[in-house]
Amino acid sequence: MKIKKYLFASILALLFAPSALFAQGPLDPSLLLKPATDAWPSYHGDYSGRHYSTLKQINASNVKGLTLAWIHRVNLNPDGAITGGEGPESALTAGGGMEFGGPQIKAIPLMVNGVLYFAMPDHAYAVDARTGRQIWHYAWKTRGGIHIGNRGMGMYGDYLYFETPDNYVVSLDARTGKERWHKLIADVKQEYFSTPAPLVIGNHVIIGMGGDSLDVPGWLESRDPETGEIQWKWYTTPRKGEPGFETWPDEYSAAHGGGMPWQPPTYDPELNLLYVPTGNPNPVLAGQSRNGDNLWTASIVALNPDTGKMVWWFQCSPHDTHDWDATQVPVLIDGQIDGRPRKLLAQANRTGFFFLLDRTNGKNILTKPFIESLNWYKGIDEKGQPIRDPEKDPQIAGALVSPTTDGATNWPAPSFNPDTGLFYVGTSQSYSLFYLTDTDPRPQGWGAAERGVGGLGNYLRAIDYKTGKVVWKHSTLIGAQGLLSTAGGLLFGSDGAGNFVAYDPLTGKPLWHAGLTANPSNAPQTYMLDGRQYVVVGAGDSLFAFMLQR
Amino acid sequence: MKGTKGIVIVAFTVWATALVGAKLPAAGNPPAPQGGDKRFDQAAVERGQKMFVAQCGFCHGSKATGGQSGPDLIRSVLVMGDEDGKQLGEFLKVGRPDKGMPKFDLSQEQARDIATFLHQRIAAVIERGDYKILNILVGDAKAGEAFFNGAGKCNTCHSPTGDLQGIGAKYDPVDLQGRIVMPRGRGGRRRGAAGAQALRSLPTVTVTLPSGQSFTGLLLRVTDFDVMLRDDSGTLRSFTRDGETPKVEVKDPLQAHVDMLSKWKDSDIHNMTAYLVTLK
Repeated sequence: MKIKKYLFASILALLFAPSALFAQGPLDPSLLLKPATDAWPSYHGDYSGRHYSTLKQINASNVKGLTLAWIHRVNLNPDGAITGGEGPESALTAGGGMEFGGPQIKAIPLMVNGVLYFAMPDHAYAVDARTGRQIWHYAWKTRGGIHIGNRGMGMYGDYLYFETPDNYVVSLDARTGKERWHKLIADVKQEYFSTPAPLVIGNHVIIGMGGDSLDVPGWLESRDPETGEIQWKWYTTPRKGEPGFETWPDEYSAAHGGGMPWQPPTYDPELNLLYVPTGNPNPVLAGQSRNGDNLWTASIVALNPDTGKMVWWFQCSPHDTHDWDATQVPVLIDGQIDGRPRKLLAQANRTGFFFLLDRTNGKNILTKPFIESLNWYKGIDEKGQPIRDPEKDPQIAGALVSPTTDGATNWPAPSFNPDTGLFYVGTSQSYSLFYLTDTDPRPQGWGAAERGVGGLGNYLRAIDYKTGKVVWKHSTLIGAQGLLSTAGGLLFGSDGAGNFVAYDPLTGKPLWHAGLTANPSNAPQTYMLDGRQYVVVGAGDSLFAFMLQR
Repeated sequence: MKGTKGIVIVAFTVWATALVGAKLPAAGNPPAPQGGDKRFDQAAVERGQKMFVAQCGFCHGSKATGGQSGPDLIRSVLVMGDEDGKQLGEFLKVGRPDKGMPKFDLSQEQARDIATFLHQRIAAVIERGDYKILNILVGDAKAGEAFFNGAGKCNTCHSPTGDLQGIGAKYDPVDLQGRIVMPRGRGGRRRGAAGAQALRSLPTVTVTLPSGQSFTGLLLRVTDFDVMLRDDSGTLRSFTRDGETPKVEVKDPLQAHVDMLSKWKDSDIHNMTAYLVTLK
């Protein structure tokens, strides 16, 4: 009996020992070009940023039977992890986004060949997609930086890429979790910090960064997936002699003008255009040293991913003074306008405006507010850009503005469902008093203070992309939130009270829910394995997987 | 960007304030510590500042944000990358003669003091939660009083000799102004300060079962699937919701303030603040 017990324990140990497990095969690059189906090979699921899956095994008629498959709680303990990094050994006890309300999985896990890959600040993981068991854990010794979140990974063959709060891009071997190399992106001492999931296009790894505490320049860069060497850099503000330079007072203000591109971009393979949403200008809330529109901050720009050359731009909030970056997902829609097929780009912007553009040339088709409380603009110009009301810039005595710096929405992924033609987004209608605190002609950093003063409620909204009209809205306790819609006639999201919910995409009516240990902390994703569809969502420090019971 | 990029600061226990969109405190914005940033040796900051103003201020400005001929040192890559005066000290020994920057013969301690001053200045820019709000009392108290009794209809619920008596002494102008717009959540208080008054400003709920039995209390949470309240005895009660059953009626004692959000003119807010500070 004892021997049997021992044998059984040994087999169990072999089965579950992380060192005994290996991930199961490279990413076929053609998967990146298809709508999300069996795999989820990139942050957005596919290049379009729609957060829509063609899977429909789980659908409106059977969603009531959706049940828990497994929970994976992340292991932040560096013992037994593969380690790397430039910081001290003592740094291994930190990480995971502890300083911002505890560890939160803000990544959308990749799922390739039966394995989930995701990252958190200073940590990267491979997890078995059938069972939720950890395969390997990589822990990074940080030199510091703001540990606010990590959006996850990019994949190229057997190689993974993720960014760290102290601004390195790290490449791991997906099979083992062993580090291939790490490369410095930006200097943490200048208050840069990096959260995006790298995007892989052909033989380019596209990398952005964040950080607007000090007035430093922003850029997007492309690196070689094999060597990590830089292929090109594109600065988010123009240098002298470049078009757009006239929207800054001088070379100095443009070079210190911010514009951090910290949302994973989207991509149209046919047009070979990369769609990059850029961050807010610097100084952030005090605009007196940067008169002008401040291109290409708070903009959507189209770049050639092979060269980094800009093809077109559209600015969402010219001369922004409220920290409203445009780093929300630029969603690519192949739709119809006036009966004609069009290549479109839609964005629900942090300012509270829904923009619809022609993605071949950046021309505006539609600009419509999607919340009711907007009070900071005077009109829309001929290019479709909102005209800000200077009286709603931060004032010494206070200006009451909606939305707040958190925005009408924010970075969590919205969803577009081609079956309903509706664009789904989590929204907030909060107000703040904005106080100008730095009246110097050359202000620094943020330059103002903000005090929240309540609001008119948060809603999950469905927007008709052709008209910009809100077709339905459903009250939630959370504003911005990550969403997923599927061909099964379902919209997955959260009510902000810890419930993971499947909504009817046509009406917003809840069809199914499960109370989790925390609110979902980014959009769910879905995949098919062994003929069974899974829906996975990160909530706090755990991944939750759901499937239909048979 | 910072403090807002991680926007989903998710409190699993959802307080009733979230119902009206009041935000959770932004991470990393604690109140300013008294006597400056504790990470820096204050005596070194003062020595460094004195030396800086005397020797560097003419070119770089007394606040180190740039002056007649010298660049902004808050944005200097050399200063940002400096560790405890080491790199700055080395640089000052040589200067940048080609650009008119002379060398300075400073001791290691002096260079460290100047560096400490500059690092403290940079930290003060980074710590946006500690920025000091300027004098906001620009409004017209008379116009504020007229608004209080007229268009604002504030006198419907409030009285300068009743609930608002002495309010100008109780709160500083910034807190007072926040409370005028929204007397709960982050508007008035930076954080904390609960108590009976704060509870009175939270929404209440009445839940009526099909049997006719009803329960009233402080609204703790309401979703599509459940509703939770705390009654006067302190008992916490939760109910499952199924569509319109049970009947759920929420009352917000601050509904008038919520309704005002989209109506305020900034000048009315400033005038109201100027008026209420006189109620001492």
